[in-house]
Amino acid sequence: MKHLLSGLTTIALLMGSGAYAERTLKLVEVITSPERTEVLQGIVDDFEANNADVKVEIVSLPWGQAFEKLATMVAGGDVPDVVEMPDTWQALYAGSDQLVSLGDHVAEWEHGATLTEKTVAMGSQAGDLYMIPYGFYLRAMFYNKKLLAQAGVENPPTTMAEFKAASAAVSELEGKSGYCLRGGPGGTNGWIMFSAAMNGTNEFFTQDGQSRINEPGSVEGIQFMIDMYQDGNAPRDSVNWGFNEIVAGFYSGTCAFLDQDPDALIAISERMPAEDFAVIPMPVGPSGKAFPTIGFAGWSIFKSTEHEDAAFDLVAALSAPEANATWAKRVGVIPIHKGADQDPFFQTEQFKGWFDTLNGEQYVPTTMPTYLEQWGYFGSTVVLETSQEALLGQRSAQDLADEWAELLTAEYAKWQANQ
Amino acid sequence: MPGETRARRSLYWQYMVEPFLYLSPAIVLIATVMLIPLTIGISYSFQSIELLNPFNTGWVGFENYQQLWSDRKFWIALENTFWWTFWSISFQFLLGLGLALLLNTEFFGKKLFQALVFLPWAVPTFLSALTWAWLFNPVIGPLPHWMASLGILSEPYNIMGDPELAMWGPIVANIWFGVPFFAITLLAALQSIPGELYEAAEIDGASSWQIFTKITLPFLAPMIAITVMLRTIWIANFADLIYVMTGGGPANSTQIVSSYIFTTAFRKLDFGYASAIAVALLGILMIYAVVLLWLRKKLVKI
Repeated sequence: MKHLLSGLTTIALLMGSGAYAERTLKLVEVITSPERTEVLQGIVDDFEANNADVKVEIVSLPWGQAFEKLATMVAGGDVPDVVEMPDTWQALYAGSDQLVSLGDHVAEWEHGATLTEKTVAMGSQAGDLYMIPYGFYLRAMFYNKKLLAQAGVENPPTTMAEFKAASAAVSELEGKSGYCLRGGPGGTNGWIMFSAAMNGTNEFFTQDGQSRINEPGSVEGIQFMIDMYQDGNAPRDSVNWGFNEIVAGFYSGTCAFLDQDPDALIAISERMPAEDFAVIPMPVGPSGKAFPTIGFAGWSIFKSTEHEDAAFDLVAALSAPEANATWAKRVGVIPIHKGADQDPFFQTEQFKGWFDTLNGEQYVPTTMPTYLEQWGYFGSTVVLETSQEALLGQRSAQDLADEWAELLTAEYAKWQANQ
Repeated sequence: MPGETRARRSLYWQYMVEPFLYLSPAIVLIATVMLIPLTIGISYSFQSIELLNPFNTGWVGFENYQQLWSDRKFWIALENTFWWTFWSISFQFLLGLGLALLLNTEFFGKKLFQALVFLPWAVPTFLSALTWAWLFNPVIGPLPHWMASLGILSEPYNIMGDPELAMWGPIVANIWFGVPFFAITLLAALQSIPGELYEAAEIDGASSWQIFTKITLPFLAPMIAITVMLRTIWIANFADLIYVMTGGGPANSTQIVSSYIFTTAFRKLDFGYASAIAVALLGILMIYAVVLLWLRKKLVKI
């Protein structure tokens, strides 16, 4: 009996240590590109080197189908341990109680204290931390120094009025325009930001559930964009421009202002000398405030994981200041740790605009109401078609705003009814 | 008489049952790959099917069609579809016919020329759309500058940003893309015309215009009718170039019915309404095909 017991214990120990050596974590990344995967693999390789008993398997989903694929994986029981979580899905997965609450882990983590307040706030849902964001896609304004100098504009604009005046001055130059307006795909953020700046608030709905997009202030913001185009302060074909065109319009020197996230910096800094351009916060409206849109993604752990501690070690390794700085530089996002702005890379004039935005009282980052069912359709189709009609002078700003408000109010009512 | 019934029965068997028995594999095949999806598609157009509203489904009768009737965007798209198809097919046909006539003669380097003519057909649509989109871009493309120098445009700008002219961007790309199809098929038809007819016409002293209108055109007519019909239906449904080049914009000025179906189904996720638009498009194209086939029967007497 004694022998049997000790034999069993030995076997159990062996099996235990065997299992211990074979801990495998599945990491699903959802916003992929070959270069990103390479950077991620590099960080993961370091993690594996420091944790010999853990293997990490990276699964890359193409962004276009990532939502359906991950949902299918989770529904089918093939749940990853660690997942790259975009802001727009956080509510869904955290709300359905699928994610590990990371609050306690972070409290014990050596770098937990240096996470910026915004990082913790953005990663939290109903008071619990469900993801550690790895960086922010925040809007700020690129400007072309040479063009402004040629147009006789001394200081880059800080208010909407100055922005308009500077754009008009640049547009006087032969073949140049002020603003790289995004009239085509993905232009929604611009309309939302400018209407919020002029309206002095980034709330999407009133207490009684009415959309605020057709309040007089918002309509003024929409009119501002229309005027920019119709007064010739933006290139004529910018009515059709999407991401590639506005970025190309900026680095080719066709237009002097571009509002974009830091990921545009990758393409621009390759083609433009650093001394020719800089980045400033978005211009503020009459209320003295600006509401740049913010997007983010981060790392979450699924509750079903069998190796929660190892999974957190991996998330911690990915989010550690050094790894995060590498990631942020290569992917083009704002890093998440306090003091990251002291890194020489982020101290350039190019990055200043984003850190000024994050630290400035007058800048209030805006998250889109992605919880509305039809938000995707609204952004990709309704705004695109109707705003082009308005830019081309086929309908008025008020008309446009009323149509948007009607759709958003109805969607919000639907959402509230489901709560 | 017992014999009579047997004969009638065998006649019935011979003409009503037996042929369909032999045809049954084909009938089953056609039914599974064509008729069943078609029926399902048509039935969708009488239902409410919204992917984001799975519980709000059910039969709604003609509601989708009533909505269609008062849908401003549908009528814009229909008009755009007409111009898009009309100009694309006209230029493709005329240029294709010209090329076929040229390629039907003998000249130095014909083989190389022939290969070049067919090249656009081999380029993936997506690639040709992107290439043409960049050619029309004044920052890096030459076309706006050439057009401005020729006095067609007042200044070099991108015509795809101008709602009046935007449709011409995809149309030009489509002409370039589709000419080889007409050239190939019409060349094949040209080569099947017996040479003796031309010899006889020459002996009789016919002018080249007479030869073209009295011999070449009548012989080509059946091929022209069938290719024009096929291509019309094809082009009316062909939204790839438009989708890549302008995305239906600006302000719906290049939206055609088939791209409108796509956005309704896959952006708005409203499959019921998208099916109703699709059925409307199907009906219009069927009427067109019937008219063209009737015309072909009237005009072609060979």
